[in-house]
Amino acid sequence: MSDNIEKYIKRKVYKGTTSKIAQKFVDAGLEKLRACINCGTCTGSCPSGRRTAYRTRSALRRALTGDESVLSDIDIWLCSTCYYCYERCPRDIPVTDMIIKLRNIAVEEGYILDSHFDLASSIFYETGHGVPANGENNKKWRDLRESYGLPPLPPTVHSYPEAVKECQTLMKEVGFRALLDNAKKLKDKRKIAEEKEENQKEGK
Amino acid sequence: MTESEKKIKVTRKTRPKIGVYVCHCGINIAGVVDVYALKDYALSLPDVVLAREYKFMCSDNGQNIIKEDIEAGLINRVIVAACSPRMHEPTFRLVCKEAGLNQFLFEQANIREHATWVNMNDSEGAYKISQDHIRMAVAKARMLLPLEVQKVSVEPSCLIIGAGIAGMNSAIDLAKEGYKVYLVERTPTIGGHMAQLDKTFPTMDCSACIITPRMVDVAREKNIELLTYSEVVDVAGYVGNFEVTIMKKPHYVDQEACTGCGTCVESCPVSVGNEFELGLAPRKAIYIPFPQAVPGEYTIDMENCIQCGICARPDVCEPDAIRYDDKPEYLKVKVGTIIIATGWDPYDPTPLKQYGYGRYPNVITAFQMERLLSSYGPVLGKPVRPSDLKAPHSIAFLQCVGSRNFREGGNKYCSRVCCMYATKQARQYKEKHPESDVYIFYMDIRAFGRGYEEFYESAAENYGINYIRGRIAEVWEDKDHNIVIRAEDTLMQTPIELTVDLFVLSIGLEAMADADKISSLLSVQRSEDGFFMEAHPKLRPVDTLTDGIFIAGVAQGPKDIPDTVAQAKGAASSASVLMAQGEVEIEPYYSVVLDHLCSGCRTCQSLCPFGAIDFDEFKKIAVVNSALCKGCGTCVSACPSGAMVQNHFTDIQLNSIINFAVKQPPIENGGK
Amino acid sequence: MSEQKNWRYAFFLGCVIPNRYPMIERSIRDVFEELGAELLDMPGASCCPAPGVFRGFHIPTWLVIAARNIAIAEELGVSLVTGCNGCYGTLRDAWWDLEHNSEEKKNVNKLLAKIGKEYKGNFEPKHVIQALYLDMGKEYIRGFIKHKFKDLKVAVHYGCHIVKPSDKRPWDGEYENPTFLDEIVELTGATSIEYKEKFMCCGAGGAVRTAVKEVAADFTREKLVNMREAGADIIINCCPFCHLQLDLGQLEVNNFYKDIIGEPFHIPVIYITQLLGVAMGMDPSRLGLIKHHDLKGVSPFISIQPFLDMVKEQLI
Repeated sequence: MSDNIEKYIKRKVYKGTTSKIAQKFVDAGLEKLRACINCGTCTGSCPSGRRTAYRTRSALRRALTGDESVLSDIDIWLCSTCYYCYERCPRDIPVTDMIIKLRNIAVEEGYILDSHFDLASSIFYETGHGVPANGENNKKWRDLRESYGLPPLPPTVHSYPEAVKECQTLMKEVGFRALLDNAKKLKDKRKIAEEKEENQKEGK
Repeated sequence: MTESEKKIKVTRKTRPKIGVYVCHCGINIAGVVDVYALKDYALSLPDVVLAREYKFMCSDNGQNIIKEDIEAGLINRVIVAACSPRMHEPTFRLVCKEAGLNQFLFEQANIREHATWVNMNDSEGAYKISQDHIRMAVAKARMLLPLEVQKVSVEPSCLIIGAGIAGMNSAIDLAKEGYKVYLVERTPTIGGHMAQLDKTFPTMDCSACIITPRMVDVAREKNIELLTYSEVVDVAGYVGNFEVTIMKKPHYVDQEACTGCGTCVESCPVSVGNEFELGLAPRKAIYIPFPQAVPGEYTIDMENCIQCGICARPDVCEPDAIRYDDKPEYLKVKVGTIIIATGWDPYDPTPLKQYGYGRYPNVITAFQMERLLSSYGPVLGKPVRPSDLKAPHSIAFLQCVGSRNFREGGNKYCSRVCCMYATKQARQYKEKHPESDVYIFYMDIRAFGRGYEEFYESAAENYGINYIRGRIAEVWEDKDHNIVIRAEDTLMQTPIELTVDLFVLSIGLEAMADADKISSLLSVQRSEDGFFMEAHPKLRPVDTLTDGIFIAGVAQGPKDIPDTVAQAKGAASSASVLMAQGEVEIEPYYSVVLDHLCSGCRTCQSLCPFGAIDFDEFKKIAVVNSALCKGCGTCVSACPSGAMVQNHFTDIQLNSIINFAVKQPPIENGGK
Repeated sequence: MSEQKNWRYAFFLGCVIPNRYPMIERSIRDVFEELGAELLDMPGASCCPAPGVFRGFHIPTWLVIAARNIAIAEELGVSLVTGCNGCYGTLRDAWWDLEHNSEEKKNVNKLLAKIGKEYKGNFEPKHVIQALYLDMGKEYIRGFIKHKFKDLKVAVHYGCHIVKPSDKRPWDGEYENPTFLDEIVELTGATSIEYKEKFMCCGAGGAVRTAVKEVAADFTREKLVNMREAGADIIINCCPFCHLQLDLGQLEVNNFYKDIIGEPFHIPVIYITQLLGVAMGMDPSRLGLIKHHDLKGVSPFISIQPFLDMVKEQLI
């Protein structure tokens, strides 16, 4: 009996609540979100959408109608920012910029992939590069540079430690460090809650 | 209201007695400011002898209040503080006139649009602005002088530019009423774009069948002078008295001699794209646009003619009708009214590269599809696709091409007819090929007119046309020139990839490419969307802001045939109102030359945008043609001698307004 | 060939070019030198920062780090030039946004002041292709071509950020069907072939590769299938991330999707300046085409020997 309830009863009804997400867009000067008529040109253009579950139009529709589950959906991270939707939207909505803003809001709520978090917090924050060549693990890349007659480290932040500090100062001042720390806290909290739920289920 | 027998005499020496009437306008004004306080304020101003307030001054009762005060001799100047003069200035002027007071001794202070409506949440601010407006109106009213309207006669003739379905309908109605009509059409035949259509929605009437009787009517009507292959090249004058120059382009064929045998066409060696067939078929350099053309005249397209002389040979043209040395003829006519019915151009989708028009052969416009479906078109009504000339098994239509597009180069408006014409074409093709698959990709289906929703329902239920809600993102062609379509089926939230034999773009309607020529010739404005602008979108849909010039049909905005015909008849009616009255009043805002001050420098003449200033060679002074003068004031400000005075906007009046605006006048009466 | 340096740019390296595909850096430096353009180093430049990831995480961070990089070039008094579509996308879009929003510019400079830098916005960020095609021009480059290929079929891959968003790019709004990269390729005598979905994204960008590699690899798979079907000998690109995705990604496709691709792919991936350089008669060593090491697990991951053979057969 209870199996059928789990299987068939789905009380998913749209209650039409005001969208907090939409308000964030409006506050950021992206009120164009509201001009969307759902024509589908964006999804139709999307190279990701035709091989994944990502739906450009639906993601923005969910943002507009306040469906917060869009923030924790991995699909919004499968947009390759090819910009075709941005170029073809008949309402002249900068669609790609909207998806980027949606990503920003997701990160504020602590929804960020582990791989992305590590990239931002450990690699980018610590070295100033997204793809670094310093450290033991990257010796072969430095050797590769030398084989082409280039200095082992490029004249970037890799050769100017004070430049790394400058970047870190900026990232602190602009709130990036705090954003990442907050995201980590929220992620950890969620992980603990999930594990608890798993244990309870198994306990049953 | 009958006009008063007693006329109140007012001269420069007459002491002004101003009556100020503050209108509540319901809550529009009274809901924001204290109208009673405004009334008291008005009373405190110089020369104001009485002030009243009333809920709706424009109502019969409101108007009566003013009338009674005038007839009782209490006032000789009237100020109504209410809405914009564009709304009711004529109303109150008429009240004055009927009460025996010269109608130009009236002034309206706009305390609605200029005060309360724009400061709805700032009562104090709106009140201060209202005071300012009333004060300035009083300043002017004290200096107003009586003026007389000019009456000019209206020629009982009309120039109609464009002989499509709109122009023809206006022409026939006016001609039947007894007016002379000059119907000018720049292509060799009348009928316009409707002649290119096959069937019309929702009745599926054959377009040629319903339009050719009209075309014949036009040709037969005695009062219509049909000037095809002609263009308007100059328009001067003013309402009721337009002087129009028409250029009759040379046919290079003597129409009297020509028997219409067509041998010349067979012999002509030059082939070019046929505009009527939208490039889907050729025509010769000597041609008749289509078989049922009216008039049935042959024309040589001199731009492409190589003057080989073959058509002029006696064994080709027996009646010897070819005239290579033909020249344009100029015709000057005088008309009282003009109707612009110039129609539209189809949107060119070439810039929308994602749809492949112009690149892939099997992408065509719906207009081209119309010619393919037409029984007298290039394939005699059996549509084939361009790459292999075979009938397509599957067709996809895309709606809103070039319309509802807010991007650079797109038109923001909806073209109104495309949802219906695509449904119609889809249905026509399904009738011919029931086994085919026909898809219509849409954002919305707009089936607003009579019978339209039923037509749309039947298309899906009875004819099995597939409506897919999703605007196509991109297409490309495969090895066999089939078109592969990418879109999202938004209702299923799924991306789709569909291969069809033929892809039809439902293109929108645009203002004619050279609409700006007509615009400057006639001094009529166009709206942001490029179509000619009506005087008021709701209440004056066929008038322009230029008196005596009217618009009809798609020239005023995209619309279907029923609306076009209705509007054409409306424009004819409006024009005939003017012509039936036989005369029209012109406001006396013209400028006047003070002879003794004029030095004859002619600066004013060189600047006048309306050509309303002449030069008197004997007296060596400027002279204003009061009927042509539109009261723009350019000459007044340019005159170095101060010799130009503009009626109703004299320097004295304007200075008075400025003075009162910037400083409060003394409260006691008599302050100046 | 002019002795004078007609053009001077600040060379913005980014991350992938110097740290994973240094042969691209080598070829850009030497080709520009040969063409008479001077490339100045930008001391302390950081990650641009990468648009898909970092702009996705926090737009204000992306903007201020980009502004810092642009400011470094401004201090040198020249436009910066980059060989990467992603860096170009970031630096050019950031420049555009800051130039069109004075509030934002003020706020960014408030932050930059804390590290003693200022963003002025008086030099436009450029791409290597922009410098070649618009600054120098085809006719100028044609004068340097010494040898031409006789039969080389090139699948040209533009990538995305070099042409979009088109309103912020110097190509007159063209993005559906640009031809500038094809034109440069054809200067070398090679043929730029038509292939299905030529302008499709490679799949690396927009945080996709770092999110789920297999998804990025499926984009790449589709591109490789189309390129192979059209008979491509090599792939030419103008972005190191596309280059990485088409090169290392080609291995990944051969692995992840071995069941549906038939034969594994082995199409050499070449950067545009490498191709241009050989046609200009430059020693392939100066273009990063010859291996002078025996390191394992480094780029290029797909052998470029077939290309080197064609160079030998057709050019020399």
